[in-house]
Amino acid sequence: MTYIELIHIIVPILIVGASIVAVLLRDLLAAVIAIAAMSLLLSLEFYILQAPDVAIAQAGVGACLTTAIFVIAIRATKRMEGEA
Amino acid sequence: MLTRNIAGVIVFSIVAVFFIFTALLMHPFGVPDESDMDDYIIDNTQEETGANNGVTAVVFDYRGFDTLGEATVLFAAVTGVIVLFRRLKK
Amino acid sequence: MSGMSKIVKTISSIIFPFITIYGLYVIAHGHLTPGGGFQGGAVVASGLAMLLVAYGSVWTMGKLKEKHLSINQTLESVGAIGFIGLAFFGLIFGTKIFFNNFLVNKQDYLFGATVKLGETAANINTAGILPLMNFAVGLKVIAGLFGIVLLMAYATRLKEGK
Repeated sequence: MTYIELIHIIVPILIVGASIVAVLLRDLLAAVIAIAAMSLLLSLEFYILQAPDVAIAQAGVGACLTTAIFVIAIRATKRMEGEA
Repeated sequence: MLTRNIAGVIVFSIVAVFFIFTALLMHPFGVPDESDMDDYIIDNTQEETGANNGVTAVVFDYRGFDTLGEATVLFAAVTGVIVLFRRLKK
Repeated sequence: MSGMSKIVKTISSIIFPFITIYGLYVIAHGHLTPGGGFQGGAVVASGLAMLLVAYGSVWTMGKLKEKHLSINQTLESVGAIGFIGLAFFGLIFGTKIFFNNFLVNKQDYLFGATVKLGETAANINTAGILPLMNFAVGLKVIAGLFGIVLLMAYATRLKEGK
């Protein structure tokens, strides 16, 4: 097993782990950061699958712009889940 | 609550089995069945469009209509956001 | 929405030019390296959104007027019209089909140099209308994606101290 196959196994596990963390967290800002980490790992997965175009688009839109929109929305409302 | 948990486990199992079978039946990576179009684009991109990047040649030249649709979708999205957020307080 | 701490503001101000230059590089080299108008525009819009989140919508909307939002949307429309206009020019020149690359391999014009075949060093002055379309789509994506974030900030500008 070469090291690139090892990366192919590790990175999807980290993606699933980051998604589960994003679902379980009660702090919405931390959940958004977890989604950004998931998106960045997904971009890495696209890159090691030899699709650098999709990787750049995913890193720009998924990891940064979506996070910015979520952060703006959270700072204008409530931060913790379940607050009145 | 117990019924909901049992139903959730059943649905999760069905989806998991579906995904596992899809992964087992998946096509091998990088070995296309029909490669006529790929070979044509790889052979003729540099002469016909002058671009060294084949993906850009496909996106903007061979399949320009797709990019036109994508631009239309983006334009519609921005227009929708403007309609939603216009002038909340006078 | 108020701004973040002074550390975040300083780091964002330092790193913003590098992100912008990288995005413009991706747009300008769209026909040579991976990337293109959409990807580079997303990178530049990401840098702008980072700056907006760091400084907060109260500060931003103190600097910007509604006129600037209109200018932003005008730029997006200019990008869209440039893209579809280049596509329609293909109906006039050359072999007269939609999305015809009418500038390729014409030495007298910009981006008209003949590309060397095979794996050679890339020449940026090639590919006809593809770089022009990359610029148009890049302008459209920068203005469009940043316009969405800017409108979110505009909608939350009245929330002081949150």
